[in-house]
Amino acid sequence: MGESNITREKILEEVIRIMAETLEISPEEITADLNFNSDLPFDSLQLYEFVIDVEEHYNIRLPDELLDEVKTVNDIVDVVYKLAVK
Amino acid sequence: MSEALVRIFENVVLTEEKSLRAGYFNDLSIAEMHTLTAIGPYDARTMTNTAEDLGITTGTLTVAIDRLVKKGYVHRERDKRDKRIVRISLTHNGKLACRMNSKFHRVLAKHILAGYDEADRKKLLDLVNEVDQYVEQQLKRYEGSENVRATARQVAKDTTKEKK
Repeated sequence: MGESNITREKILEEVIRIMAETLEISPEEITADLNFNSDLPFDSLQLYEFVIDVEEHYNIRLPDELLDEVKTVNDIVDVVYKLAVK
Repeated sequence: MSEALVRIFENVVLTEEKSLRAGYFNDLSIAEMHTLTAIGPYDARTMTNTAEDLGITTGTLTVAIDRLVKKGYVHRERDKRDKRIVRISLTHNGKLACRMNSKFHRVLAKHILAGYDEADRKKLLDLVNEVDQYVEQQLKRYEGSENVRATARQVAKDTTKEKK
């Protein structure tokens, strides 16, 4: 993608949509403050499904070293925003 | 020491093999998983470069890629400008398998290091890097060598000399 008019709000919306699709839950159940480890029912395979979908959607790379720092939905949105607007 | 090294090598491979069999990607062999890792989850690669990285011929890689394409892990296409070049990349499932395998390695390393404090970790990593470099050097001696047995004899001879 790499669009310059992309906003953080749009990314949050899209990330939640992809996440809900992977977890097969309603997007309404996901909020920005939720924690990947304690609040979201990801198993490791689903987590990588989600990561790869986000990578492909925004044409960015999210290596494990970067993901180590990600704790909440807000964190992943920040990382994606930083990489997608470049 | 030599027994422990061989055992570590064998057990890591065995654990990886067993975890593959028990996991989501039980239709992949370890060799196939390593082929996916060599291609990598991002850019498309040429057959030649990937074969070089794996230390195999392009003929051997072609057979492996045929299987991985059939299983749905690899996508293969001819370069649009130069039809002689074949580019391979991972499908969504291929990327998933590759990343899950990297995670296996990371978790293994994390658990091994968990029992050590910062100073010991550094020491251990330095030692492991030294062993890695030494084994790498030995491997390089076989590159381009047609007579593997002769090279192996020479390596054994030199190692004995070094010990003396």
